[in-house]
Amino acid sequence: MLTVLAPVTGVAVGLDKVPEPTFAQGLVGPGTAIDPRREWQEAVAPITGRIVSFHPHAFVVRSAEGRGVLVHLGINTVRLPLIRGFELLAAQGQDVTAGQPLIRWNPAEVVASGVSPIVPIVALDADGDVISRPVRGEVRRGEPLFRWA
Amino acid sequence: MTVAERRVTVASPVGLHARPAARFVTAAAAFDGEVYLARPGGPRVSAASMLAVLTLGVRGGEEIVITAEGDGAEELLDRLAEIAACTAD
Repeated sequence: MLTVLAPVTGVAVGLDKVPEPTFAQGLVGPGTAIDPRREWQEAVAPITGRIVSFHPHAFVVRSAEGRGVLVHLGINTVRLPLIRGFELLAAQGQDVTAGQPLIRWNPAEVVASGVSPIVPIVALDADGDVISRPVRGEVRRGEPLFRWA
Repeated sequence: MTVAERRVTVASPVGLHARPAARFVTAAAAFDGEVYLARPGGPRVSAASMLAVLTLGVRGGEEIVITAEGDGAEELLDRLAEIAACTAD
């Protein structure tokens, strides 16, 4: 059983609230989404493992057992390279501990750029029924978000 | 057993990132057979795994080699090539 931590502080709303069908329909994988608090904050690693994909707006951490969790900071943020405040605090290939800060960002800046700051957290290559106990409502970064059987 | 291979250039400016990767992997995972993805001359990974495809981290403008083994392999590669050549992100 893998406990996936909330990477950001905000309100857990579920993947179906993501304004992007690929995520909302679960095509990327099962999980949930957090509407982040509109303030400077550090996005943290949801699990312990290695950063196998690292972009200013998204990252994947893979556990030693080979489970990958994708965290996407906002929707369409990839098209906004000039958004201020995606500061990288780690690097591709780095081994990290669950709860370790990886990216400093400000969802308010994302909103000001006209796109959604919502953060999908997705269990890659997992069936939907292996995700349990997803948190709904207020959640702080580093707190348990869901469990992956 | 049909084995087919195709070289295509990934057109999405973000490469095979979240959305293009999800479309690609969903199509590959629905295929009744093995499907692999690689950079030319590089190690191949399962094209049916989001984790593997995101870890490979193909960027926009890069060339990829897709290999499929099974009935309908050519048709699958047509579909995957179409997804890879899509310029949307």
